[in-house]
Amino acid sequence: MHINTAQKLRKDKNAQAGIIIIILLLIFAIAVPIFTKAPDVFSEKILARPDCENLLGTNDIGQDIFSRLIYGLRTSLLVSVSTGLISTAISVVIGVLAGFKGGLLDIIFMRFIDAFLVLPVILVLIFVSVFIKPGIINLIILISLFQWQGTARIIRGQTLALKEKTHIYAAATFGSKKSYLLVRHIIPDLGHIIVVSFIYNARAAVFMEAGMAFIGVSNPSTISLGKIMHDAFKFYYLPAWVWWLLPAGLLLSMLLVSLTFLGNLMEKIIDPRLQNA
Amino acid sequence: MNKRWVSYIIAFFIIISLNFAIPRLLPGDPVSAIYGEDVMVKLSEDVKEYINSAYNIDKPVISQYFLYLASLFKGNLGYSLYYKQSVGKLLMSYMPFTLLLMGLAVIISSFFAFILGIESGWRRGKKIDLFLLYSIIISSGFPSFFIAALFLIFFGITLGALPMQGARTAYSGFTGFGITSDFLKHLVLPLSSLIFILIPPGYFLTRNAMLSNIKEPYILLARAKGLSDSKIRYGHAGRNSLIPFVTQTGMRMGTIIVTGSLFIEMVFSYPGMGSLIYNSILNRDYPVLQGSLLIVTFLVLIINFFMDILYVKIDPRIKYAH
Repeated sequence: MHINTAQKLRKDKNAQAGIIIIILLLIFAIAVPIFTKAPDVFSEKILARPDCENLLGTNDIGQDIFSRLIYGLRTSLLVSVSTGLISTAISVVIGVLAGFKGGLLDIIFMRFIDAFLVLPVILVLIFVSVFIKPGIINLIILISLFQWQGTARIIRGQTLALKEKTHIYAAATFGSKKSYLLVRHIIPDLGHIIVVSFIYNARAAVFMEAGMAFIGVSNPSTISLGKIMHDAFKFYYLPAWVWWLLPAGLLLSMLLVSLTFLGNLMEKIIDPRLQNA
Repeated sequence: MNKRWVSYIIAFFIIISLNFAIPRLLPGDPVSAIYGEDVMVKLSEDVKEYINSAYNIDKPVISQYFLYLASLFKGNLGYSLYYKQSVGKLLMSYMPFTLLLMGLAVIISSFFAFILGIESGWRRGKKIDLFLLYSIIISSGFPSFFIAALFLIFFGITLGALPMQGARTAYSGFTGFGITSDFLKHLVLPLSSLIFILIPPGYFLTRNAMLSNIKEPYILLARAKGLSDSKIRYGHAGRNSLIPFVTQTGMRMGTIIVTGSLFIEMVFSYPGMGSLIYNSILNRDYPVLQGSLLIVTFLVLIINFFMDILYVKIDPRIKYAH
């Protein structure tokens, strides 16, 4: 596939907006904590309105909501990027192996992948986390373990199609080994699909982490956007939701929407029928 | 079709095995993992012995697994110490609310998703299409629980127009028509937020299918025959645009519907499975959590099964192919 991604990006306003939002969020999450207070420090001020000292007021135990938001954003970004990387790596390995080898291996992999796809993943994650009480690293591994199946299926499909292409035949005729074919031809040609998979998995991970924390299944030591919303939701009848629940939810939604925009751009690049839509 | 069956059975066994394995993989004995250390200390010896014998702790793991399977197939899902009731009965009393909420939401949201998707795809690039597309893309980025919380705060508190919690007003003394209208009023907020969440996936698929379908030659033929615009839009392009909704989301749809309704119920304390799960996490009532996981998975598989049937009805080519 010869696709000029930069050119497509220049035409797509949404994707540009998505990238700009993500970069801003990254800067926000990395740089701003230098200036803010520690998010865990308690103070006498409880459920205070926003003022100069606390930009978004304080929560029910006197912690600064603004700095908690930024640390929560950090958690979301960390979970999103690492889960995206791990689950995409697993799905590339399994998808390419199943598609390239075919036969019994393919059948077994596909049956299991389909089985995982029908599971209510977030509920399974909640169930497992309630028992093993994962920290942030275990949580990332756990989400990745239940997240790679969807994209593995897509990658397997693309590998099947690629396998039949002329340039792969040509390379095989020139005597290249199977491993060489995989590493030098098939995987590079899957490049765009792998990027879509990464975005898709990263987006799903953000939602799952936040959803689990919102329900109340989270490690007490990690600050996350979902957890902030969980805490804030207990006080939904107070006017405090405007500077407590709302900013956390909007930040989370901004991250999700910008990832959706990027995902749509990549999908359009792959599926030419959707172009100019 | 046949292949899917295999996946459904594997999926069900994955859940059963998780239910069985997770408490046993933890350090300490599984019974305290399920019921909580603090609870076990308080129990009398008789009860402890009864629970231990129910879990067959003294037998080897393999036979424990088969005994667990056997008791599941007899319909024994465990016992909740918090509700002092068998988990099976408990789930059955919460299930109808979830089914009602889910069923209504699926029907109404699919209707809107198809209409909006078809109209939007037909008017590709026009103002109304772009407006719909952008507002639905943006709203689909909002997580379901955030949307539900906003609905709750805006309609329940700011406007104060609708009841926010539960399925009926407690001790209201309503009779006859009063009960029905009270019940319906409680249904409005959870139902409308669930509909709001379920529209985007169907809309995107229908619109995308519409975009490729309106370029097909059979549309040109239909025009040449002099069919009316709306007949082509709904009867020809529209009907074919229904297919991807069933095929592409087919396997995912069960999960989307079920997790959506669980989150909504938690936010609105609507007395369905979602609230039950939420409360069982709060109360550390893990047998209920285990049972719910099993039943919810079963529900997802049933939805998928109906999707498979629907798929053949909508796209007759599938039937001829077999």
